[in-house]
Amino acid sequence: MEDIDDILREFDSQNAPSNAKDYDDLLKWWINERAAPEILQCQEDLVERIMTRVRRQIEQIEDQTGNLDPRANFQLIIVQTELERVKFLIRSYLRTRISKIDKHALHILSTPSIRHLLSPSEQTYLRTHQALLNELYLSSFLKNFPDNLKRLDDSAGGLSMVEEPDLEGAVFLRVVRDVNVAIAWENGETLDMRAGDVYVIRYSAVQEAVKRGDVELI
Amino acid sequence: MYGELGYKLVVHAKRTQALNQLPPYQTDIVHAVTREVRDLHGDIDEITKSYDGDFNPSEDPARACALLVHHLCIRRNKRCLLAYHRVRAEKIEQMCWNGMDVAEQAQAARVTEGDDDVAGTSSHALSPEEDEYARQYGDMLAAYKGQWTDIDLTGSLEPPKDLFIDVRVLKDAGEIQTEYGAITLSKNSQFFVRQGDVERLIKQGFLQKLS
Repeated sequence: MEDIDDILREFDSQNAPSNAKDYDDLLKWWINERAAPEILQCQEDLVERIMTRVRRQIEQIEDQTGNLDPRANFQLIIVQTELERVKFLIRSYLRTRISKIDKHALHILSTPSIRHLLSPSEQTYLRTHQALLNELYLSSFLKNFPDNLKRLDDSAGGLSMVEEPDLEGAVFLRVVRDVNVAIAWENGETLDMRAGDVYVIRYSAVQEAVKRGDVELI
Repeated sequence: MYGELGYKLVVHAKRTQALNQLPPYQTDIVHAVTREVRDLHGDIDEITKSYDGDFNPSEDPARACALLVHHLCIRRNKRCLLAYHRVRAEKIEQMCWNGMDVAEQAQAARVTEGDDDVAGTSSHALSPEEDEYARQYGDMLAAYKGQWTDIDLTGSLEPPKDLFIDVRVLKDAGEIQTEYGAITLSKNSQFFVRQGDVERLIKQGFLQKLS
C-alpha cells in the first residue's frame, strides 16, 4: 500500500502547478510571510499565475451577470465569494510585504542578498519611498545640520540607526518534510524534526528550512 | 535648557500616534531644536579650535566633559527630530493608503485644534515639506497600485465573510453603478449590496456597515 501512496504523492508533486496547489501555496506563503520576522522571497510567478485566473474569472462573471436562471445565479455567487477571498489573500500578502519593506527599508537597501528577494515593482517602491523620506528630513531640518551629522545610517554612539528584523524571535511551525536543524545554543547539536510535528523555536534556527519549504509557519 | 525642546517634540509625536488626525506642525519647536544643534556644534568647534588639535582629555576633564555633553545633546536632538518627522510621515502614508484626502484632513484638524488651542489657529497642520511629501507619496502609491488594479490594494484588510452586506447611508453619495444596475444612495436609506462595490464609500464615511 505504501508504495502506491508514494507513487501517488510523487505524481501529485510533479503535477504542479494545478489550481488547487497554487491556492494552497499562496495560503502557505501568505502565512509564512505574516509569521516570519524577515522578508521572504517574493512569489512572483505564483501570484502571476493566480492573477491570470482571477482576471479570467472576473471576465466570466461579467459575462454571466444578467443571467436570470436561479441556478446559474447561485453558482455565480459562489464564484464571486471565492474570488473575493483570493483577492483578499493576494492583497494581504502584498501589503504585509510592503509593511516589512517600509519597516526595514535601510537594512534591505544595504544588503544586496535581501534586496533580490523583492519583485521589481517592490524595489521601485522601496527606492522611491526612501528618496522621498530623505528629501522630507533633509528639507525639514537636516539641511541645517553640520555635515558629519547628516547621515541616516549612522551607528555612532553604539546605536545603529538601521532597524533590522529580529531573527531571534520565536515562531510556531509545522514540519512538512523530515528535517534536521542545527540548534545554535548547543555545540553543533541538531534537532530531528519529523513530518507533522509542531514546534515553537527561534526563527534563526529554522530560517533555511522555511525558505526551502521543509517547514511551514503557523 | 539642553534637550528640553527635543523632549517636547517627542511628546508631540507620542500624542500624534494616538490621534486620528494630524495635529499642526510644530514649526517653532523644530526650528528652535535645529538652532540648538547648530549652536552646540559651533561651541564644539570653538573648544576644539582653541586647543589647536592636540587636546588631551585627561589634562582638562571639565572641557572633555563639556564636549561629550554637547555631542550627546546634538545626537539626542537629531533622534528627537527624526522621530517626530517619522511619526508624522507614517501618519501621512496611512492616510494615503486609506484613500483619504490628506489636504482635506489637515484642514479639518486645523479647525478642531483651533477651538482649544488659540495659538494653533494660524499654523498649518502640514508643513510645506510634508505637503510635498504627501503629494509625492500619493503619486508613488498610485503607481504601485496601478499594477494591481484587479486586487485594489487599498481595499479592506479584513478577511471577507459575506459577499453581500447591509449598509446604511450616512451622507448623500449620489448614484453608483453596480453589476445589478444603478443605486441612488440617499441619506438614511438602507441597502443590501455587494461589499466590493461599496468598500470605498464605507472607508470615506458615506456608508455604514450594519452587522
